[in-house]
Amino acid sequence: MAPSKHIPGNYGRKLKWRMRHLTAAALCCVAMSAQAQTPVFEIEIREHLFYPSELKIPAGQKVKLIIHNRDATPEEFESYELNREKVIIGNTQGIVFIGPLKAGEYPFFGEFNPKTAQGKVIVE
Amino acid sequence: MIRSCGILCAAGGRVSFLLVGMLIGIPIHADNLLHHNGVGRVYDPYVQPLERELELRTYYQTDDDPIESDILRQRVGFGAAINERVFAELYLIGMKLPGSAMRLESYELESKIQLTEQGEYAADWGLLVELERQRSESIAELATTLLVTRQWGNWVGTVNLGVEYEYGSNIRNEFDTFMSAQWRLRYRESLEPGIEIYADEFTHGVGPVLTGLVRGSGNQKWYWEAGIILPANDTTPAYTYRVLLEYEF
Repeated sequence: MAPSKHIPGNYGRKLKWRMRHLTAAALCCVAMSAQAQTPVFEIEIREHLFYPSELKIPAGQKVKLIIHNRDATPEEFESYELNREKVIIGNTQGIVFIGPLKAGEYPFFGEFNPKTAQGKVIVE
Repeated sequence: MIRSCGILCAAGGRVSFLLVGMLIGIPIHADNLLHHNGVGRVYDPYVQPLERELELRTYYQTDDDPIESDILRQRVGFGAAINERVFAELYLIGMKLPGSAMRLESYELESKIQLTEQGEYAADWGLLVELERQRSESIAELATTLLVTRQWGNWVGTVNLGVEYEYGSNIRNEFDTFMSAQWRLRYRESLEPGIEIYADEFTHGVGPVLTGLVRGSGNQKWYWEAGIILPANDTTPAYTYRVLLEYEF
């Protein structure tokens, strides 16, 4: 019996397996940390209103805004001040990246229902 | 824009075009220049789902050379978003030469693809694919253009870099490159001044442009652009006036 002969082979396979998983884990960490650098905020559209209608975000930082349209009809998140325009089909969600912005208030509205769907991003 | 055959003898001294030619090394061929004008529009890389639009573009050029003067081009288009990332538009393109009526010259199918979300990266990216076919001659053109936009505060810079393949039995088959760029101030929604640059194998032009958006009821919008492009080489018309009107609904 020569178990010692098998050890290097097993060790090599285990090392490769560990390295592969460590690499994958490292890549996941990098990806997660990259994602974590962009704070995520969420807004809902219900009955042609934005919830919350006032959203506070940090100054000088890009943020990811996920807009859930709970209505059956489409809505357009629109803001000249933010330089953003995004149509969100009914019962779906849209992603809008905003910033980095200076402190201040940036109004937005729903273009399909501008009288009711209004809000602002407060940067502080 | 498809080239037709002929020779232009544009007159007048013009300033040399420094930037664009050096950047992309535009090839110069002197075999198909008649009535060519590479001034078009500068495309942003964005697509909105459910968007539909009617578009009218008018170009009017004057020049010291009477052959290249008093030429009117018009382009009428209807476009619609196919999905969240792709917008397609069909154009009819007409041209009016001095002393003759407006004539339908060609058809064009255009597709814009938004590649990245606005603001996600340092610049926003898109792709434009165009197929144009002459109506009365065997000349066609397939072009692919990279669309890049970046915002700096209240300023927005957009660059379109393209390569096109012209083919058909009435033209020498060849690849060409072209570029256009716009630098625009976000002054207010209804009025944004800027400057535009156009460059292809014959056209080297630069000039001021005004753009703006006027809102109608609901999701209806009127978008407009107007500009004057001046020559930076001898094969660009002395003045190219361009007006664009889009009705989005």
